[in-house]
Amino acid sequence: MKKKLLAALLSLTMVASLAACGGNGGSGSAGGSGDAASVDTKEHVVINYMTTGDPPEAGSEKEQSLNDMLAKLNAILTEKVNAEIKIYYIPWTDYLSNYNLTLARMDGSVDLVGTASDWLDAWPNAKNGAFLELSEDMLKTYAPKTWASVPADHWELCKYNGQIYLMPEDNYAQWTNHGWIYRLDWAKEAGLANGVHSWEDMTTYVKWVKENKTDLKYVWDSDGTQYSQMANGWIVSHSDFVAIDGICSGALWGGKKSDLYTIYAPAMTDTDSLVAYAKMMKEWAEAGVWPTDVLNNTSGSNRDEFRVGQVAVEQHHTQTWTDLCSHTPANTIYDTDPAAETGIFYFGEEAKNVVALSITHGAMAVSAGSKNPERALMVYDLIRNDQDCYNLFNYGIEGVSWEKDANGLRTTPANYNSDTQNINGMTNYWWGRNDDLEIKDATRNWDAIDKLYAEYDKIKIDYPYGQFVPEVDDIQGKIDNCNEQYTNYMKQISFGLYNGSAEDIVAEMQNALKTAGIDDVTAALQTQFDALYKK
Amino acid sequence: MARKESVSTGNAPAKKKSILQVLWRYRVLELMCLPAVVFFFLFSYMPMPGIYVAFVKYNYRNGIFGSKFVGLQNFEFLAESGKLFSLTRNTVLYNLAFIALGNLLAVFVAILLNEIRSKWFKKVSQTLMFLPYFISQVLVGLLVYSLLNYDTGFVNEILTGMGKAKWQPYSDPSVWPVLLVLIHLWQQTGYNSVVYFAAICGIDAEIIEAAKVDGANAFQRIRYIILPSLRSTIVILLLFALGGIVRGNFGLFWNIIGSNSMLYDTTDIIETFVYRATMSDFNFSTASAVGFYQSVVGFVIVMIANYIIKKIEPDYSLF
Repeated sequence: MKKKLLAALLSLTMVASLAACGGNGGSGSAGGSGDAASVDTKEHVVINYMTTGDPPEAGSEKEQSLNDMLAKLNAILTEKVNAEIKIYYIPWTDYLSNYNLTLARMDGSVDLVGTASDWLDAWPNAKNGAFLELSEDMLKTYAPKTWASVPADHWELCKYNGQIYLMPEDNYAQWTNHGWIYRLDWAKEAGLANGVHSWEDMTTYVKWVKENKTDLKYVWDSDGTQYSQMANGWIVSHSDFVAIDGICSGALWGGKKSDLYTIYAPAMTDTDSLVAYAKMMKEWAEAGVWPTDVLNNTSGSNRDEFRVGQVAVEQHHTQTWTDLCSHTPANTIYDTDPAAETGIFYFGEEAKNVVALSITHGAMAVSAGSKNPERALMVYDLIRNDQDCYNLFNYGIEGVSWEKDANGLRTTPANYNSDTQNINGMTNYWWGRNDDLEIKDATRNWDAIDKLYAEYDKIKIDYPYGQFVPEVDDIQGKIDNCNEQYTNYMKQISFGLYNGSAEDIVAEMQNALKTAGIDDVTAALQTQFDALYKK
Repeated sequence: MARKESVSTGNAPAKKKSILQVLWRYRVLELMCLPAVVFFFLFSYMPMPGIYVAFVKYNYRNGIFGSKFVGLQNFEFLAESGKLFSLTRNTVLYNLAFIALGNLLAVFVAILLNEIRSKWFKKVSQTLMFLPYFISQVLVGLLVYSLLNYDTGFVNEILTGMGKAKWQPYSDPSVWPVLLVLIHLWQQTGYNSVVYFAAICGIDAEIIEAAKVDGANAFQRIRYIILPSLRSTIVILLLFALGGIVRGNFGLFWNIIGSNSMLYDTTDIIETFVYRATMSDFNFSTASAVGFYQSVVGFVIVMIANYIIKKIEPDYSLF
């Protein structure tokens, strides 16, 4: 009896102490009012900036150049706001799990958090309580320049339940619509004088490369994760589908350009198109475009292989293409083959269906576990809006990592080494770049880039669902199950790895999605849509 | 205290001793137990109230006990997937194969080791069999991939070298049950056999000597002395293993099969499915709900198995 009582008491105390631990987890000081002058900056603090990316190897020359830059930057930050910045890396392997896990710790190990509503779970994290609400007073006081430069309607898109959680990268021109990046010079040799402008052209190209460029490692050294962009790419190329970001990893739900606010799932409705897709990808697979065991291939170094001419295809977005099509020191294809040219066939080109980037594709948030949210905002305000800080953080030390040429464009010094002195590739600052402060990169192939951007500007629509933050608590299980089924089948379809006919595999996928409850999810999302848009 | 003890042990063996006296009496044994007790208390009992997370919509800032209570909502996910049956089937069948074949092979290897006369050879073979146990599952996954992949795999290089057609296991779900069991056995047998080997070493040498004198040959000694003496060890290890029968070996499956959805029919287990499906929304609560479900099923199975064994052979039951 005594033993039992003792045990019960013991477990009670444990519950109580655990509950106490849980209760007061980093509430932060959301209040903060008053003007910047009265801000107490007596204590020197370290602001940890969290970003995705692989850290430079410890003790390497690369790390040294990063530290040199940080030393200069931190001198300025210390002088102005008595704080210094430190980078907290989330390496690319399993980045999303590690990213979310780090945020869930809430122990103050990170302050500034680079985030995104479409590829980094910004809204789920805001809902889970990982991000601090940024009151207008706080923003006005501690990040006044950012507050002033972001228009009111953009702040609206950063709100959930009436509270601002994100500071958007809304003044930076870039295109992150995906497409096939390919060797334009080889496409011309293959008889495509104007380059690739359809999926059929692309088929001609990859087959020609497979037969004629036999010394390549692969036509495309793909890995198993590419299916999602490929499938979505096919769908937007053959319909006027506009996907809703941030529901799950696959682009399962969306509206039509002609009818934006009626939700449908093309995986269920566009059967004929998907069958054609399955057939074409089977053709690619049989031609041997990618590694046979592509679903188990985890190496993922295709882009670097493209730079040095070991592969002929890369699937990524326009921003990546602007790098690959330019004769930068890293892209050695242009050194070894003067005729080399890199083109992009963007998804949606055939149907003229391109959606401009959502402004929360890159944004900065403050961790709710941060001990110094005020100072974090002050540091962000400087990095985003102060030319000296901006240059250091984005380009590195002038004269070492970059310099200005006669035209005021940014170029690299003669003794620049892209392997060790590329600061931009280490700070990964994609959460508040600012075209007012950007210095145009002279190494970029602006002729080709500007031409494409002009084409985009003619056909693009703005991302229409910026204000929509889906409430998914009740349907999360169904969404997870749908996404899981879609992923499993789309992998097989996209890499032509299915037995039986194309019709069968598409029908099988649609049945599985039905079982997983896709219709319930569509209906639930439609209800929320109507509440938001049909006022 | 010392006097009290001498009083109680010396004078009144029949009188019921107080709990303190018992504790004092076995103090050395208790001290030896202490590390294990502390370990299990810290890592198994302390976190137990946290299972409450399976019944809430977890919010980082409110903590486990401050989050909104949602009842059994988190458990619906697995049922809704429509895969509960095939996942549980795969998990249980793989575990049965691992347990049955694993123990058989381990006993067999332990007996073989015991019969080896050359001390040098015994040590070397034991070490070699033990080594795979220390290889991380990630490396095992890579190793298997570089052996079996279609384009550059070692096996296929040999097949082409012999003029045979290539083998494509990564597109063929039917070969994986055999492959995975083989890989598991390769990794675990050395380790498992140590337990049985120790049990064999613990058999009274006089019995074996006596059998020898009576003219029993090696096979008879194995059949009539060694195997019967191993029975209790086998039963206890089986009981332990049964508790985890719905708990899959995530590391093995994830690293070898990974995200190859072509193979899921025969290789998807509860763990890998839950990992993939909840990774995208980072849902602690759902994952905990699944873990809780597995624990409950495991607990029930152990209780039933233990009850049955107790009926048949009371000495071999755990409790």
